Amino acid sequence: MTQLLLAKETLKTFVGRYEVYLKPLGKFLLALLALVMINISTGYMERLNSMSIVLILALMCSFLPLNFIIICSAAFIILHLYALSMECALVALILFLILALVYFRFAPKDAVIVLLLPMCFYLKIPYVIPVCAGLLATPVSAVAVACGVVVYYMVSYVSGNVSGLSALEAEDMSGRFRYVVDGFLKNKTMLVVMAAFALTVIIVYLIRRLSIDHCWTIAIIAGTIAQMVVLLLGALVMDADVSTIGIILGSLVSAGIAMIVEFVMFQMDYSRTENVQFEDDEYYYYVKAVPKVILSKPEKTVKKINTQRKKKKSH
Amino acid sequence: MIHEERVILMTKLQAYEDGEGKKDIATSNYFRGDYLGSQMLKSVITMTIAAAVFYAGYIFYNLESFMKDLYQIDWIEYAKMLLTRYLILVIGYALITYLVYAYRYAKAKKNLKKYYGGLKALNAMYHDEP
Repeated sequence: MTQLLLAKETLKTFVGRYEVYLKPLGKFLLALLALVMINISTGYMERLNSMSIVLILALMCSFLPLNFIIICSAAFIILHLYALSMECALVALILFLILALVYFRFAPKDAVIVLLLPMCFYLKIPYVIPVCAGLLATPVSAVAVACGVVVYYMVSYVSGNVSGLSALEAEDMSGRFRYVVDGFLKNKTMLVVMAAFALTVIIVYLIRRLSIDHCWTIAIIAGTIAQMVVLLLGALVMDADVSTIGIILGSLVSAGIAMIVEFVMFQMDYSRTENVQFEDDEYYYYVKAVPKVILSKPEKTVKKINTQRKKKKSH
Repeated sequence: MIHEERVILMTKLQAYEDGEGKKDIATSNYFRGDYLGSQMLKSVITMTIAAAVFYAGYIFYNLESFMKDLYQIDWIEYAKMLLTRYLILVIGYALITYLVYAYRYAKAKKNLKKYYGGLKALNAMYHDEP
């Protein structure tokens, strides 16, 4: 345990010291992963599949705000869908516009959630995101989680129904539009998942804010169980198509990941190096404040117990 | 001579001012009512655009039946129905906006109270200096 705590302390120092480089690197990797995954799951426009375009965009994203990655990803999806059919692109455009209007009003800081959720869906562990959002963010993050779910199901529906779309006549624009909207909106699984994830965010948040011991661990366990129950019950009631074993296994793995997140983030202030400038009447100050290195004391192990000497009474 | 404690406090205050404080200060420049009013207005505009986009999509989805019934629709009834749905949507959205932004306003004020406390302490340090 001491080793782990020391590792945590070292991580804190490392993040604090190199935050200037780590932040753009993180953004770059996130953008790269998002764009590559979009290309793999859709990839209908040949030009966008080029790695050089992806790399240039990811590099741009590393210096721009996080929401720029979302805009780039949305543009990528729309362009790919446009190459498949104009109606799909139109549906995606309408959907993204409505989502953006809701998302940017309430949760513009939760870009990471919107990006990571569809990625985790492909890795079969989407259940980790609502739990972690509840631990690290606010209940408003439920909006970002819902947006992520909608985006994933839209892309997966289109990529899974390419043959059905191409079977429809190209002139029947309204028919193709209806086909996409019908298939997407009548997806009961999406509604169940959306409700379960939003509920999980709120439950985890409420429990982790309680002033009880181990509230983060309790929140993770309660959130995971609630999520599983709502997903399974919802699937049963709404006759949605979900894999029971997938949900149980995915939730267990997600709970494990959430525990790691708890260990890394719980009561940790990853205070960063601050570069500030100010002045008073006498001086100009250019201050660089670097977080202190606090190493935990090594644990004492008792190897030998000496017998206590009896004090002689002096009188 | 450089006063060490003063520099530490000033650094902390400046770091807040450059980071989270920027938004908090911008928020606290408004009266609560004005701030919530402006946010709700923004939400109403946003929701109106979203509803218009959604309605355009809906019309396109039902284009054939819509064109067929174009001359049989009681437009006044239709407008009433649309307006009622729109109002329910907008009022609901504005209410959620009110709750979320009232919380954010209260949080910004709380953070700023701490910040002003720091400024007061800094001021006192300057006055106490021999």
